[in-house]
Amino acid sequence: MILAALLLIPLVAALLSWFARAPRAMEKINVAAFAAIFVLALILAAQVLGSGPVSLWDSFLYADQISALVILLTAFVALFCAVYAVGYFREDERAGNLSEEGGSGDSAARKLRQYYTLTPLFVFSMLLVTTANNLGVMWVAIEATTLTSVFLITFYRKVTSLEAGWKYAMIGGVGLAMALLGTVLMYYSGYMLMGLDTLTSLNWSMLVDRAGQLDKTTMRLAFILVLLGYGTKAGLAPMHTWKPDAYSEAPVPAAAMLSTATMNCAIYGLVRFYILASRCLGAEFPGGLLLFFGVLSMGIAAPFILVQGNFRRLLAYSSIDHAGIMVTALGAGGALGALGLMLHMVFHTVTKTLLFFCAGNVYQHFQTDLFRRIKSGVIRSMPVTGTVFLMATLAVVGMPPFSLFQSEFIVLRAVFAGGHYLVIVLFILFALGIFAGALIHIGSMILGPAGESPAVPWYPWRDTSVIALAAILIVIGFWLPAPLLALIRGAANVVTGGL
Amino acid sequence: MHFSLNPEFGNRMVTLMAALVLVLQLAMTAQRWLVTNIRIFGLQSFLLAAIAATIGVFNNSPHLLAAAGLTLGVKAILVPILLERLVARIEIRQEIEPLLNAPVSVLIGGGLTLIGYIVAASFNRPDQVPGAAGLGHNTLAVAISLFLIGFFTMINRRKALMQVLGLLSLENGVFLATISLTYGVPLMVEVGIFFDVLVGVMVLGILIYRIRETFESMDVSRLRRLRG
Repeated sequence: MILAALLLIPLVAALLSWFARAPRAMEKINVAAFAAIFVLALILAAQVLGSGPVSLWDSFLYADQISALVILLTAFVALFCAVYAVGYFREDERAGNLSEEGGSGDSAARKLRQYYTLTPLFVFSMLLVTTANNLGVMWVAIEATTLTSVFLITFYRKVTSLEAGWKYAMIGGVGLAMALLGTVLMYYSGYMLMGLDTLTSLNWSMLVDRAGQLDKTTMRLAFILVLLGYGTKAGLAPMHTWKPDAYSEAPVPAAAMLSTATMNCAIYGLVRFYILASRCLGAEFPGGLLLFFGVLSMGIAAPFILVQGNFRRLLAYSSIDHAGIMVTALGAGGALGALGLMLHMVFHTVTKTLLFFCAGNVYQHFQTDLFRRIKSGVIRSMPVTGTVFLMATLAVVGMPPFSLFQSEFIVLRAVFAGGHYLVIVLFILFALGIFAGALIHIGSMILGPAGESPAVPWYPWRDTSVIALAAILIVIGFWLPAPLLALIRGAANVVTGGL
Repeated sequence: MHFSLNPEFGNRMVTLMAALVLVLQLAMTAQRWLVTNIRIFGLQSFLLAAIAATIGVFNNSPHLLAAAGLTLGVKAILVPILLERLVARIEIRQEIEPLLNAPVSVLIGGGLTLIGYIVAASFNRPDQVPGAAGLGHNTLAVAISLFLIGFFTMINRRKALMQVLGLLSLENGVFLATISLTYGVPLMVEVGIFFDVLVGVMVLGILIYRIRETFESMDVSRLRRLRG
């Protein structure tokens, strides 16, 4: 029941927003809907913790610990982004960023309606990814996350945002076609085994019990195709090129969701296939591929962060780096790797959302996202945003008091335990490069002598969401609530099969 | 009609149609007129629907007939109509020069077909089943070739609409692979995929229209402001 409600609420919210006339009403609908979804996600997590996997409709929908964790993160990000979006778009409206220059296009109200209608649909498709038991339905849902977010990226209708939207749709389209072929091959191996022409022979919960008997050649090819496909969606190098464009052109709340919730969904898809592949082929084959793409992503991200001139693109490259770390954790395997992956997913989601919010505040104040235009001294005109931005940057590059340090350390231990010493050397090398690059660029933008820009007033919607998230970030550096930790451990157990 | 339910006859039909599908895909790599390419794609989808229907009739599988109906409705009729209306609205008919000229493109297409056959031959399949149940298993090579040539078209063509057609024919390759390997995927998934294809075409169409409005061109190679 709870799974159906989770999927129904965003659909209703999208419908209501479409018919609402005033932007204020759309804001309320979105915030209320995402608050309700977050509560439901908490209840679902409690249920899964209490009594194991939940399923509905002849196990068409299925949620185990991994699903519950990713759903919780999606709901968390969606709620924060909905609150932040209220302040963000009101500021946009006030600054006149929503009205077209030529005057021929849509009015501000129409653009806002598009945003507030598409966002619940976008969240719906992400929730469907994590609740669908059938791997084919999961593919359909991941494709739907692309389709619903294209117009979020082209929201401002600028030349550059159209370019970003086009690249996103085309690169994503090719990637997902590969993933579809991989899914079909997976179906083929299940079909050869069970000979059922029914929906259930693509059900993950069904396949996982029989993974050892699946055809190995087919499984190998299927895993490679799915890794390329969902890896494109997660932004792994070398399929990452859409990412900096999309994140720097989309409105900030949408970019925050893309870089955390959507990326988690793509990683989730990879995890599901990894579990099947590792049960069928052993951990070496899928693990080796994952390590390769993981290290490559970190390696591509490092130089681009070092020479980056735009802070929203810098955040995008940081997302590529963290996608690489998560995939490396999965590839390292073992109980430690799985635990590192799940912890990293949680910590990255909180940290990166906060970073995007800070970047949005700075962007709206200075009307630019280039370091050379802002120069320095953000902390003097924007004390709250500046402080939090610097803190979140320290967190995202993995400085010790913050939580990402812990998860990266666990990942490194997992890689060490696996005996991949070259990976460790490269991991540390690239992490150092990213540490230096991000800290120099963002540090010198925030600190230093003040520019001529005036002090910023208190923006209730945006600043409260920034402060609340910053508080959460500090707290999880030292203490995780016991149920959340249990859920993370449970999710890691699903990956390793309870070893 | 009993004579036509001879599996040998069905097998020849399917092989012939699969060959035609491949020929159309090669023609698309060489053809420069947008409207012609859209019609080639429509015809290709129609043939795919016919393949699915033939196998469906011979194996008495209503599920494959449903998939054939969906292909016919969505990819052979609806998508070409939508794309042709888009071409009429943006008033561009001819493709600018692709990166590689027509003869070279066809040659590369032929090379990719060869790769498709090699991959399909090395692919592990259960023993060839004689009679109706084995129908269509030999089309896997065509499916892989469609996938590869569609991919090549997307790289080779600079017009946004041609890239969309490349993506769609690539998806046709996946559809043929599902028929060839498993006689289609579960209907629920099939419906979802077709829904995504339809919405995808609409989304890309709107995007092309806006790009055309803004750039006065559909040349995707001009989309190069975002770097680094």
